[in-house]
Amino acid sequence: MTDRASFLAGIRSTPRGVDPGLLDRQSAPDAPTQLRGGEDRSDRLQAEAEAASTVVHRVGASDVETTVVGILIGAGAQKIALTTDLEPFAGAVRAAAVTAGLDVGTYGEIAPDRAQTGALDATVTGCLAAVAATGSIVTSAAGAGRAGALIAPTHVCVVRDDQIVGGLHELFDGDVLAGAGSLFALQSGPSRSADIEKVLILGVHGPGNVHLVIVAPH
Amino acid sequence: MSATRDDVGGTPLPPGWAKPAHQPDAFELTTTTFEERSAKTMARPFARAAIANATDHAAALTTAKFVGTDHDALRDQARQIRAHAIAKLPDYLDQWIDQAEENGTIVHYAADESEARRIVAQICTDEGIQRVVKSKSMASEEVSLNSALEAVGVDIYETDLGEFVVQAMGDRPGHVIAPILHRTKDEVHELFSTMAGHELPNEAEALTAFARQGLRHAFLTADAGISGGNFLIAETGEVLLVTNEGNGRLTTALPDTHIALVGIEKLVPRRSDLAVLLPLLTGHGTGQQITTYVTVASGPRREAEADGPKRMHVVLLDAGRSALLGGEFEEALHCIRCGACQNVCPVYRQVGGHAYGWVYGGPIGAVLTPLFRGQAEASELAQATTLCGACDDVCPVKIPLHDLLLGLRRRTDQDGFVPRGERLAFALWGQIWSRPLLYRASTAVARGSLRTLAHDGVVSAKAPMLRRWTAGRDLVVERLQR
Repeated sequence: MTDRASFLAGIRSTPRGVDPGLLDRQSAPDAPTQLRGGEDRSDRLQAEAEAASTVVHRVGASDVETTVVGILIGAGAQKIALTTDLEPFAGAVRAAAVTAGLDVGTYGEIAPDRAQTGALDATVTGCLAAVAATGSIVTSAAGAGRAGALIAPTHVCVVRDDQIVGGLHELFDGDVLAGAGSLFALQSGPSRSADIEKVLILGVHGPGNVHLVIVAPH
Repeated sequence: MSATRDDVGGTPLPPGWAKPAHQPDAFELTTTTFEERSAKTMARPFARAAIANATDHAAALTTAKFVGTDHDALRDQARQIRAHAIAKLPDYLDQWIDQAEENGTIVHYAADESEARRIVAQICTDEGIQRVVKSKSMASEEVSLNSALEAVGVDIYETDLGEFVVQAMGDRPGHVIAPILHRTKDEVHELFSTMAGHELPNEAEALTAFARQGLRHAFLTADAGISGGNFLIAETGEVLLVTNEGNGRLTTALPDTHIALVGIEKLVPRRSDLAVLLPLLTGHGTGQQITTYVTVASGPRREAEADGPKRMHVVLLDAGRSALLGGEFEEALHCIRCGACQNVCPVYRQVGGHAYGWVYGGPIGAVLTPLFRGQAEASELAQATTLCGACDDVCPVKIPLHDLLLGLRRRTDQDGFVPRGERLAFALWGQIWSRPLLYRASTAVARGSLRTLAHDGVVSAKAPMLRRWTAGRDLVVERLQR
């Protein structure tokens, strides 16, 4: 078996090509995944998310739980799980969902049992951040878990207005990702495939029904 | 895991469904010629139309995606990132390994294909892994991983919809990112109906749902997930995966073990470099703003995390890569596997991916295959190009593909793979065409002969001396008079 030392020694012994140097990281690249000057973050997030087939709801903080439960009932969900990053809305959402007769669990308690996890109808998560220019939410292993945001057919994500970053450059260059744990992930709309004759199908392995609830500042 | 294999969601796939997966190890590179392989695709008119439609679609989306931005400057930045990472590859590998090990990842080193197969098979044996869900990985195609694992008794489920079809058909992927570009819905319908044991509706939605049900069961019962990696991030020791279906993330989330097999050239220095590379990978790959799922894993699950694998293994794959460092063909290692060069290549668009005989098709395949597999097996691939340069123009990291192809042609000549008759013919042709009088005379003769053969300005498939050219298309001699 090749070990680290011999593997790297083999590579080090090869000649070196021309090194153009490390790219200057100060400036954001001119890419479609950056916010344009003067654009509103929430508006761009909504536009990009909708372009990726996400259903967007913009609400005040006091309407979060009724909006979320309305989405769950509309989707016909019965067994649902909440993830820890739903704070500070988790308590209110749980209470409203229980009142509406839904079977509400905590993702962290359900996840060890794969049969139960696979039987979930919907999950409700928060996120680490949202990226306006790509219409993405950013979830973490420490928050929504690795599969919390895509294991069930319906996913609802609640994002606070102050969690929205402009583009990929701010996401990757800032400290937004600190505390993500063993994994972070960008998720942009429903799971999709066009493998069969380029026909777009939503909901392959991940959710086909994706909602983003953007909570306006007080 | 408290669930047994049979009380989870989804529907188990019928026993033996993946039987054909035992076949496609036999790469055709050594046993057939480019012309023979091309003829197979050319003989399927639908495949040609499907490839042309799909590639037109992808190319148009890419162009539209970057309107209003300085696309060229972005590609220059990407080129710089890739060139720098490859020039400093040993240092960045060292940094990545340190970080990954600190995160709890177990790193393995595969100098060649057989070592990669041995390592992954050993992990499966050591950990008692019987069922594996696999996310699309071209590196695993390179090393024929599936058959190595089947040999030690592991059941493998390709979970990308296209790869699942490829596996069940005993086929090979026909495109880097669209594996069943060359297959019809009817073919998938027939396959899935046979697997289901009853006639399924012949609609993409129902067919996808059938695959989802079977694969969901596999996800919920698998002992390990195997993936590739689109990038390795040196400063953090992370592995990045892009998928649209969500299978990549589930592969890294549900089973107790995650194994990633990644080529060493996938290194990038920093997370911030992704702000340049990701929009190019997805924009040139599928024309999307971003792929639906971008997953960045740094190691096994940590204390207090709700889910994730207990063990994460990364197998670093060399298999011919380091031999290119510092040499004439180093830039081939800059490739980020977006597939855009395939979409615009006039040769690929006619013959499809299988004609290239190995894992990669199109211009990048014509470059990588002889470099990874050797000139003796693959030297003719450098001829499978018109040198039109469309691949150079579309490459998101500005690999000068047509220079590399010319370099390979030169090497084919130097290494003595060009037949004596062909050498003489080209020497003679060079002599004639470098003299104006002889040049004009030769073209006059050619024009005259073609006119004699042509009907209404077109030499059709019946022309006796030009049958090899005209078997697949007409030769237009003159524009019709207006």
